[in-house]
Amino acid sequence: MKHDRLHKSVDAYLKLHNSSTPARLDFVQSVTGFILALFIMGHILFEATILISKDAMYAMTRFFEGYYFFGETYPGIISFLAAAIFIILIVHTLAALRKFPSNYRQYSIFRKHSAEFRHNDTTLWLWQVITGFMMFFLASVHLYMMMTNPGDIGPFASADRIVSGWMWPLYLVLLISVVLHTFIGLYRLALKWGWFEGKKPKESRKVMKKIMIAAIVFYIGIGLAALGAYIVIGIEHSDKVGARYHPTEGGQQ
Amino acid sequence: MNALTKGLMMKDKAARKIKINILRFDPNIPNDRPRIDMFELEEAPGMTLFIALNDIREHHDASLKFDFVCRAGICGSCSMLINGRPGLACRTLTSTMEPEIMLAPLPLFELIGDLSVYTGNWMRGLNERLETWIHTQEEVDVERLEERMEPELAEEIYELDRCIECGCCVAGCGTIQMREEFVGAVGLNKIARYRLDPRDKRDDDDYYELVGDEDGVFGCMTLLGCEDVCPKELPLQSKIAYLRRKMVEVGLNKKD
Amino acid sequence: MKVTYTDVLVIGGGLAGLRTATGVKERGHDVILLTLVPPKRSHSAAAQGGMQASLGNSVMGRGDNEDVHFEDTIKGSDWGADQKVARMFVNTAPKAIRELAAWGVPWNRVKKGGRQAIINAEKVTITEEEDAHGLITARDFGGTKKWRTCYTSDGTGHSMLYAVDNKVHEQGIEVRERMEAIALIHENDRCYGAVVRNLMTGELVAYIAKATTIATGGYGRIYSVSTNAVICQGTGQAIALETGVATLGNMEAIQFHPTAIVPVGILTTEGCRGDGGVLRDVDGYRFMPDYEPEKKELASRDVVSRRMTEHMRKGKGVPSRYGDHLWLDITILGRKHIEKNLREVKEICENFLGIDPAEEWIPVRPTQHYSMGGIRTDHRGESQTLKGLYSVGEAACWDLHGFNRLGGNSVSETVVAGMLVSEYISDFCESEESAINVSTSVIEAALKCEQDKLDRLINNKDGEDTYVLRRAMEKIMMEKVGIFRNGKDLKEAVDELEQLIFRSHNIEVTRSKSLAANPALVNAYRTQMMLKVALTVAYGALLRTESRGAHSREDFPERNDKEWLNRTIMRWKDPDMTMPTVSYEDIEVEEMELPPGFRGYGKDMTIHHPKTEERQAMVDTMRLQTEEEGLDRIEVQRTLMPYSELLPEKYQGRNERLDERFDDER
Ligand SMILES: Cc1cc2nc3c(=O)[nH]c(=O)nc-3n(C[C@H](O)[C@H](O)[C@H](O)COP(=O)(O)OP(=O)(O)OC[C@H]3O[C@@H](n4cnc5c(N)ncnc54)[C@H](O)[C@@H]3O)c2cc1C
Ligand code: HEM
Ligand code: HEM
Ligand code: SF4
Ligand code: F3S
Ligand code: FES
Repeated sequence: MKHDRLHKSVDAYLKLHNSSTPARLDFVQSVTGFILALFIMGHILFEATILISKDAMYAMTRFFEGYYFFGETYPGIISFLAAAIFIILIVHTLAALRKFPSNYRQYSIFRKHSAEFRHNDTTLWLWQVITGFMMFFLASVHLYMMMTNPGDIGPFASADRIVSGWMWPLYLVLLISVVLHTFIGLYRLALKWGWFEGKKPKESRKVMKKIMIAAIVFYIGIGLAALGAYIVIGIEHSDKVGARYHPTEGGQQ
Repeated sequence: MNALTKGLMMKDKAARKIKINILRFDPNIPNDRPRIDMFELEEAPGMTLFIALNDIREHHDASLKFDFVCRAGICGSCSMLINGRPGLACRTLTSTMEPEIMLAPLPLFELIGDLSVYTGNWMRGLNERLETWIHTQEEVDVERLEERMEPELAEEIYELDRCIECGCCVAGCGTIQMREEFVGAVGLNKIARYRLDPRDKRDDDDYYELVGDEDGVFGCMTLLGCEDVCPKELPLQSKIAYLRRKMVEVGLNKKD
Repeated sequence: MKVTYTDVLVIGGGLAGLRTATGVKERGHDVILLTLVPPKRSHSAAAQGGMQASLGNSVMGRGDNEDVHFEDTIKGSDWGADQKVARMFVNTAPKAIRELAAWGVPWNRVKKGGRQAIINAEKVTITEEEDAHGLITARDFGGTKKWRTCYTSDGTGHSMLYAVDNKVHEQGIEVRERMEAIALIHENDRCYGAVVRNLMTGELVAYIAKATTIATGGYGRIYSVSTNAVICQGTGQAIALETGVATLGNMEAIQFHPTAIVPVGILTTEGCRGDGGVLRDVDGYRFMPDYEPEKKELASRDVVSRRMTEHMRKGKGVPSRYGDHLWLDITILGRKHIEKNLREVKEICENFLGIDPAEEWIPVRPTQHYSMGGIRTDHRGESQTLKGLYSVGEAACWDLHGFNRLGGNSVSETVVAGMLVSEYISDFCESEESAINVSTSVIEAALKCEQDKLDRLINNKDGEDTYVLRRAMEKIMMEKVGIFRNGKDLKEAVDELEQLIFRSHNIEVTRSKSLAANPALVNAYRTQMMLKVALTVAYGALLRTESRGAHSREDFPERNDKEWLNRTIMRWKDPDMTMPTVSYEDIEVEEMELPPGFRGYGKDMTIHHPKTEERQAMVDTMRLQTEEEGLDRIEVQRTLMPYSELLPEKYQGRNERLDERFDDER
């Protein structure tokens, strides 16, 4: 039984206060989700520079390795970045785990509810959980690789990993998962905190949903194209696995 | 154009036959098992599920249990799953649906029998838990002029006061299906209503004690089933968001 | 045998019952409240229009006070009301609304400055005063001199009911839902509680109390079409009647509303016609100007209802599967107006008819709306004949409304009655008289009697089909005891209803033999009760050979104060009889503050009471005298008809208004 402070009953003095943890967790979940979302939106674009040219991708890599700041490449920066993202991801996951169905019974209740109800936003949440769950494994693998082999990034190195290292199936699934999860997450984030509500929240929500769908289509499109490009390069390069890329004449050094 | 020439006319046009499937079960009868009964009736113009179900009770099966009180969409008694979606049966026109209709009782609430569930009991518990009444220690002198209130504020409070405790938002919320302790949109809306009301002297710390946890506002996963099924079209999404912002503020400034 | 004891038993969880319960709890008595449905689902939630209380905040209500409210109420009642009760009521109504405001009802407030309004189909600008800003505002309602109807948008009853029920929560009052009182327990003209049936399990329990209060609302469902909720079946009146001791008053006084939609009988507001909507018949012809050339569609409620019925009787109704109806045409108002000012009507049309009222006509017909009659009580809400039995709200006839209730006076009455009667009940509970002296054998017998009745219904073979009887009753009431009444039809109605009562002893509960949650069984015993209630209505109407308020006899069109300035009192002495016994209670002209006069509609056809003139002269001189002496309006009133000591002490005070500030404020 809960009582408010105006009720000066014995329980009012004895009761357990609501702790601040749930508020913090909810906040943290959203903040980490938001950071991750921003990261992914950038990540996929950066890494799609391969669609422009191998040089562009190469330059991008070097940029992140700090070449343009220090005149030298430090793959450790990538390691550091990956580790930071990894930590954020873990925090996010831990916070989000509260929302997971905590046992099979809950899961099946939700599945049944969502199947009968056929309500779009409820179904979307289920997708978010499923994709989140998958990423838990897939992203970990990917991040672990980036942390441990930060030097192995580049037009050829990446392509080799994707084709000869048989990473493409993982990336394919990861791509779809992360894009869905991110944009459903952002859509939900806006509604959850009442951003961009305007005068007519119902109308705003419709608009936001449209934006969400557009973003999903766009990012999956770009991601698939980039993955395709890596695969093509990887196949062409499959006999020279391990060889590094050297920028073309016109490219920057 | 006038209605005389349009199809509305209460005169029968070629009437449609509709099939109403009802999930039936009476927990009071030992050994009763859930089953689906199908009733076929002739649709009449202006037929609502209220009329259809009473027709079934009068002409087909007098034991069919369901609840209607106002039959005008104001009392919240007749909520049920209509083709899987929570809604008020009394204001659902059969003509707006396919000829085969599936009716089931609202989940989560105590089942009395067939389509009748005990939403009232659940809501009573909720109201007691959230103490949904004006908390004040001021005595009113009913002979004196009433306390003033801004007209806009009064209307804003009324917007939230319109909830009819029908339970549709509860039945339409996946979170509460999984975690029955969750207060649901109906509960959060009530807190938002009292929070708006200057006559209630509780402050945000008090409200935090009521809904500042996983059973309260932080339990809501923004599934928005509530928003989409609420027959009174209450601004649930935006009020829950608002409450969440306020409660996070309290939480982040809290010591323990 | 299961028995529960308490101080006060309240039967009914509408506004009246809830407010009574909070009142006695406040005074420290234990109370249990029983209700068919969760209190917040009670029919009180349906009141949309508003609640009357003479606050006089809005400019259109300035100058309003108890006196004006009193006069409106008495005129409205066609002088059938108890004037002292009306005085008690008008003095308490402002207190009631202020209390509700403190309990959380978000009453609409006055906003200073100008605003547009439509009055009699014309656009006008109303400018509100600065000093009223933020106080409770009011709207216009039929039959009132001032704008006095306070409201919360279109959900007044809802907000009031929720606020009071929440108060009940706060006080921790025990509310038992889905419980139906099916008989009263009484011995030696003293009521001790009720036999109660649990609607979920079928179990019977005896509730024994010092005081028992019936707040079960109206009995509209004895008619086939009614704006009332489906649970307004008059079982409260029936159980009182079945004691053979308690009496019912003015049961024939039934109000009809002209424009409820067909088939479900949901109300569309008078605003439709107020704003310029018209009524049309089967040929699309606007017929009201033929009958009422002056006021047309805007004649008063009962007049329009009567004209519509008349017209349908001429064969001009639109035939439908659900019976004849007429059209309400608001298409002429234009979509913009409808979407802005008649939103609620539009929603009703969409949800319940599937039509767009800006394009199509709305099928409507006059429909039963309110029960003025009920359990006869004195001004303290106590039965005149069965001690310890109280009644409040629409269930009761204490008698505020006489033969016609004013719109907005009803929700107001429920709360006021709850406030006042709970004080009298508390006084009673604190007196020695309230001792519970009922023998166990009486309780046992009552329980057994009810159980036997139910068993008989379940076990009966080859009996009558409940629905057949029920529908027959509804049809008789609608067709023969409706808006227009005449001796021939009423005689038939009484005879036919008596036949039905006879047949109802042999009801068989078909198909469903469970004693637990069994709608067929419920329908069976309620139909038996409803038939008795219906008969009191028909019989009272047959005997009353005059037209007063809502009771309109074609064969006796004049109001006959000479013979009928009285209340019809019904009693059902012996359960085996098929007819009630009738007596009349005079309404004393000598005591009236407002002697009978002309109500102001149509032609004055009153046959006056011999004492009216004398009383009127007396009132006039007294008024003149006291005013000359410089007494204020409240003191003047006191000399005309003292009533204030009838009120509980805490509610005797004056009401502050903007125009009548208390001294310390000046
Ligand atoms: C459509 C409509 C609109 C209206 N609008 C207005 C308006 O604008 N202004 C106005 O003043 N009035 C209005 N009225 C009238 C007003 O709403 C009612 O007269 C008033 O609310 C009655 O309140 P009550 O408490 O007496 O009864 P109700 O609210 O009817 O409550 C009856 C209670 O008794 C219980 N009950 C019944 N029988 C039993 C039993 N046997 N055992 C146990 N419990 C039982 C029920 O469960 C219920 O809780 C309107 C009425 C209608 C139909
Ligand atoms: C790069 C990876 C990720 C990104 C960009 C991301 C992004 C987001 C965002 C923006 C939200 C909405 C925040 C909120 O509702 O408060 C969210 C919610 C969620 N995330 Fe993630 N997330 C990622 C990884 C994960 C992982 C690995 C998991 C789980 C194992 C996960 C599980 C969830 C869940 C269950 C929610 C929903 C929480 C709720 O509905 O309240 N996420 N995520
Ligand atoms: C700092 C951390 C990260 C770095 C440095 C990084 C780097 C890279 C690189 C270089 C590639 C190209 C392929 C390869 O070389 O293997 C890639 C691809 C990809 N990464 Fe990451 N990544 C990081 C974090 C993440 C996270 C957290 C996710 C998602 C949860 C993610 C999802 C993907 C996906 C889906 C692809 C395939 C892209 C496509 O199909 O176009 N990455 N990443
Ligand atoms: S919030 Fe809406 S859906 Fe929920 S109980 Fe109230 S009215 Fe029903
Ligand atoms: S559906 Fe449930 S999760 Fe929240 S937004 Fe509504 S309460
Ligand atoms: S019966 Fe009241 S809302 Fe449907």
